[in-house]
Amino acid sequence: MALASAAVAAVALTGCGMQFPNDPEGTLERVRGDVLRVGATEHRPYVELDGVDEPTGSEPALVEEFAERLDADIAWTMGSEAELLDALEQGELDLVIGGFLHDTPWAEHGATTRPYVEAQTADGSTEQHVMIVPMGENAFLVELETFLHEETGA
Amino acid sequence: MKARTDRFGRTELPERQQRALQRAIRIEWATIGFLAVAITAVGLVMGGSQAMKAAWIEDLLSLAPPFAFLLAVRLVNKTPTRKYPYGFHRSVGVAHLVAGVALFAMGGFLIYDSVSGLLMAEHPPIGTVVIFGQQLWLGWLMMGVMALTIPLPIWFGKVKMQLAEELHDKVLYADADMNKADWMTAAGSIVGVAGIGLGLWWADSAAALFISVSILWDGVKNMKAAITDLMDTRATTFDDGKPHPDAAEIDDYLRGLPWVAEAGSRVRDQGHVFHVESFVVPRHGMHPTMQQLLDARDGCIDLDWKIQDIVLVPIDELPEEVGGAGADHQSERNR
Repeated sequence: MALASAAVAAVALTGCGMQFPNDPEGTLERVRGDVLRVGATEHRPYVELDGVDEPTGSEPALVEEFAERLDADIAWTMGSEAELLDALEQGELDLVIGGFLHDTPWAEHGATTRPYVEAQTADGSTEQHVMIVPMGENAFLVELETFLHEETGA
Repeated sequence: MKARTDRFGRTELPERQQRALQRAIRIEWATIGFLAVAITAVGLVMGGSQAMKAAWIEDLLSLAPPFAFLLAVRLVNKTPTRKYPYGFHRSVGVAHLVAGVALFAMGGFLIYDSVSGLLMAEHPPIGTVVIFGQQLWLGWLMMGVMALTIPLPIWFGKVKMQLAEELHDKVLYADADMNKADWMTAAGSIVGVAGIGLGLWWADSAAALFISVSILWDGVKNMKAAITDLMDTRATTFDDGKPHPDAAEIDDYLRGLPWVAEAGSRVRDQGHVFHVESFVVPRHGMHPTMQQLLDARDGCIDLDWKIQDIVLVPIDELPEEVGGAGADHQSERNR
């Protein structure tokens, strides 16, 4: 019964343009058509910072496409993992990339996406790669995971 | 198996109770089977939700009463020995206490966990999963699984409540109560996850807090009931609601005998069966014969299958705690 009422509520809310799941802090709403604030830390070949203004590599490429889909410009911030995760927690960033793995210890400070790609390492084990978004911004998380799912089939 | 379980110690069960006992054993195995599936399923989907974690732990703890019951019915059918002259009935009480303490401790831990979640303003993340190539918000899956765990515990609880009364089994009663907490917990966690979906980050921790309080309360109730029984409080009905009517029936029966002037009994619950000490004051100048005493004892035993272990004590005046007048008159010593 609770499920039914939740479903009804969800349908009713999405019917009038509200997200389900929704963001407590409204990240997705704010980013759409505006600015996506992304933090990048170096981790080749996923993220490369070669003294240029914008990072390159496979993850920045994905993020650029994601921003395009949201009709948003990207504001890049480069820094260490600790700096970027701290900024993410303070609500100063919307997304952090840097070749993070699904069992990253930073998962306490941000929400990891579902692994979007599996890579073979030199010693033959597989690594599952994720990106990190603010805790509990579930509409934004679902939007990003949906994009990654469509892009990479993960 | 049947031959092993149709008695509680020396007490042979009437046919009606035998059937109830067999049914209780079957339903407890069914409960364990259900919980094994539910714990696996909830564990797979619980993700970052605090409420789901609380519900999952409650499901884990729900395994304790069924196991305690099944263990106890095996132990109590042993007859008394020289080393255990009162039989093994108290194993029910011990199992009951262990289950109560486990519930209490876990409830306390979960309250701490969810309150700190609220104070730290933790925002639970719930992402997506892919099932059969289809991407789905994990929250839907959580709510679906929790909804599936609601109907069976409702039914289990109802049946166990009837059987607990039939068998005078307090572990079974505690278990029936626990099944009620189980499905309410499931409903609570659905509300919590739905709250997350609506963007209310606190809904999850609030639901978890509500669930934890109910677990703690279960623990308090069961601990209290188990401790009072181990303290040899007077025998009560299976739900600890009121004094058990058997005590008054024994006294009435004894008072109705021609040689008895007054009677009063101490009745303690050994778990399933009662241990009775009846003090009887013979009428003035009348000395009961051995046959009269034996008949009186058999008459009491015939009142209820739960009365088996009974001691008749002829005495000159009733002790105070079974209704005598003298304020300094204890059963241990006369004058």
